[in-house]
Amino acid sequence: MTSTLTPPTGTGSDGDDGRPPRASRLTWRQRISIFDVKASPYAYVAPFFLLFGLVGLFPLAYTFWVSLFDWDLLKGQGDFVGMENFWAILNDRFFWNSIRNTISIFLLSAIPQLAMALLLAYLLDQGLRAKTFWRMSILLPYVVTPVAVAIIFSSVFNEADGLVNNLLNLVGIPDQQWKHDTFLSHIAIASMVNWRWTGYNTLILLAAMQAVPRDLYESAAIDGAGAARRFFSVTIPSIRPTLIFVVITATIGGLQIFTEPRLFDVSNAGGIGGADRQFQTTVLFMWELAFFRRDFGEASAVAWLLFLLIVAFGLVNFLLSRRVATGDARGGRRAARRAARKGADA
Amino acid sequence: MKLSRHTKVAAALAGAASVALLASACSSDGGGTDEAASDEPITLTITTFGTFGYDDLYEQYMEENPNITIEATNIDTGGNARTDAFTKIAAGSGLSDIVAIEEGWLGSIMEVSDTFVDLRDFGIEDRSGDWVDWKYAQATDADGRVIGYGTDIGPEGLCYNGALFEEAGLPSDRAEVAELIDGDWEHFFDVGRDYQEATGKAWYDHSGFVWNAMVNQLDEGYYTADGELNVEGNAELQERFELLGSATEDGLSAAQAAWDWNGGKSFVDGTFATFVCPGWMLGVVQGNTEAGGGDATTGWDFADVFPGGAANWGGAFLAVPETSEHQAAAAALADWLTQPEQQVAQFEAAGTFPSTVAAQDELASNPTPNEFFNDAPVGEILAGRSVGVVAQFKGPDDSVIQENVFGPPLQKLDRGEVSTQEAWDEAIVLLNELVG
Repeated sequence: MTSTLTPPTGTGSDGDDGRPPRASRLTWRQRISIFDVKASPYAYVAPFFLLFGLVGLFPLAYTFWVSLFDWDLLKGQGDFVGMENFWAILNDRFFWNSIRNTISIFLLSAIPQLAMALLLAYLLDQGLRAKTFWRMSILLPYVVTPVAVAIIFSSVFNEADGLVNNLLNLVGIPDQQWKHDTFLSHIAIASMVNWRWTGYNTLILLAAMQAVPRDLYESAAIDGAGAARRFFSVTIPSIRPTLIFVVITATIGGLQIFTEPRLFDVSNAGGIGGADRQFQTTVLFMWELAFFRRDFGEASAVAWLLFLLIVAFGLVNFLLSRRVATGDARGGRRAARRAARKGADA
Repeated sequence: MKLSRHTKVAAALAGAASVALLASACSSDGGGTDEAASDEPITLTITTFGTFGYDDLYEQYMEENPNITIEATNIDTGGNARTDAFTKIAAGSGLSDIVAIEEGWLGSIMEVSDTFVDLRDFGIEDRSGDWVDWKYAQATDADGRVIGYGTDIGPEGLCYNGALFEEAGLPSDRAEVAELIDGDWEHFFDVGRDYQEATGKAWYDHSGFVWNAMVNQLDEGYYTADGELNVEGNAELQERFELLGSATEDGLSAAQAAWDWNGGKSFVDGTFATFVCPGWMLGVVQGNTEAGGGDATTGWDFADVFPGGAANWGGAFLAVPETSEHQAAAAALADWLTQPEQQVAQFEAAGTFPSTVAAQDELASNPTPNEFFNDAPVGEILAGRSVGVVAQFKGPDDSVIQENVFGPPLQKLDRGEVSTQEAWDEAIVLLNELVG
């Protein structure tokens, strides 16, 4: 076991007494063993990377290749146009419209969703009766396929007779234009995303919270920290890596949203997300370009621009959530304390 | 170093597993095409859309040909079937043995007509006289290859709600309605204005379908017959747009979301009184009315009249892709499905009006009442409506122009957000951005 825990370079240091004459003294068998220890891990991880190369890297590269051509969906590869597709997309008002919509829907879904998931996970982490029941029921929405969710919510947010408008009418609020008003349509779509993903994130955060040593809470409580203080000063910093993971996956998912806006608008077969493209997200725009307008080259350019955008957002979120989750953002007191402790250690 | 032996085995296993994964990913293809029409068991796949009414015919065919198993897929709308077919053509695989192609996107398919087999190799020429001549010609590409067996065509009549007509003091009898509506589009809208004045309700469901009918009726629509784009500066088109626009501005449109109609409820609660109805749409009207909680007593009827004269909307073809492994068997099934006798059965099941002359004659001489449409002899009426129908040339971007160029401005017009002129201008801007 110990040999797997030490990094590969460490294995060499086992015999650092005889480093210079190493080659001559090792037997064939030993050399095989060393090679085995060094190389085997790569063989273990290789299947993933082979698959990743096949279904991840290759499509990415091929998409870039396609984006350099005039490429009709049906007729296939046309003339080489270089970066022209990218310029065309960057000058397309519908592209920017789709980016605005995507970011708006992303913010409306990711922030409340993660806040809610944190809160729910915290509650589920307390001593509840019938724990498994509560934990499983929170995951239930995640099991429903997005298509079903979109169809049900599309009916719930129906402008003429939908459940939401009927409920609003009960309290004296007139019908709202859930499918025509830009902001309202974003809220409606974000609510589908939240409904589906909150439980998923909750369970992941809960798993992380369960791993927080209980004595940390006890000592914090003894020191006089209230529930809120324990949550912000013990729980959140302790689950930092998980929190970052959840934020990053939510970012990737949120920027790739497609099914919900596509099915929210059944009347436009061309998939433009509302008569005025009120809720056409970037992936929906890409779908329209590729499969309706048949311009595969420009659609590939959109795919790449979206990829870059997601990477950028992912990095920003990574940095932000790292700062927030360590609690260093504001006072920096703890950082100072830790630095002091480190100094003392040394 | 006890670990080493295990790691070696595991590494070998991991390597083998990844090789196996790669191999299985690449081995989906293969197997020759068996052209011989033997008794060997064959599974044929077929993809249709909307209401095709083929289910009983599949059963019958499988009974008559015990070696054939039919696996059918039906996609909800033509638009989604288009995406399905295009994606699979682009991928170069995945098309079923028989693919139903809609007239509206036939223009795009014709650009890659060599994706589909030339049905002359399977004897379609012997049957060329079966169809109305333009239907056969539509499926023939520039090189003379024939890629589709014609199924239905889309002569248009007028669906109207008799109960609502009565409420508004208009005649509700089928013949009288035909007389009342008979005339051009302007007259149709004028009757609508009377109706609207009497009831305060809308006349048609939404502008998009009406616009589609108005365009389809022209000799040349979004493209000239030689395939030139024909929208900007097309006075005839713009004149019709203005006609529709002023009607909509007068409140004649119910601004419905197509293919949804408030879950079908708008067909039941009197939101609109008329609906443009090609044969295949009859099944859609019935299905949505029933989904909305209505039935035959809701009052829908079918009149032998259409504003501006004969018009065609839609119609489909059955094509066999080159990738099919059972081309001969597939062609035989498609051939059988489009025989006059089967077209009559299809009409009875789904209201799709046949494209073969013999089947049309059969329907014309045998007026079966349709219970849902107030016992209207819909077959006889559609046969009458098909006289003078000639399908318009559809260019490669026809469906894009219909859906994404004219669709959005018309929806805004419906909701009163833009004037007719603004809607037209927006359509031209969109045209240049999306198609130009």
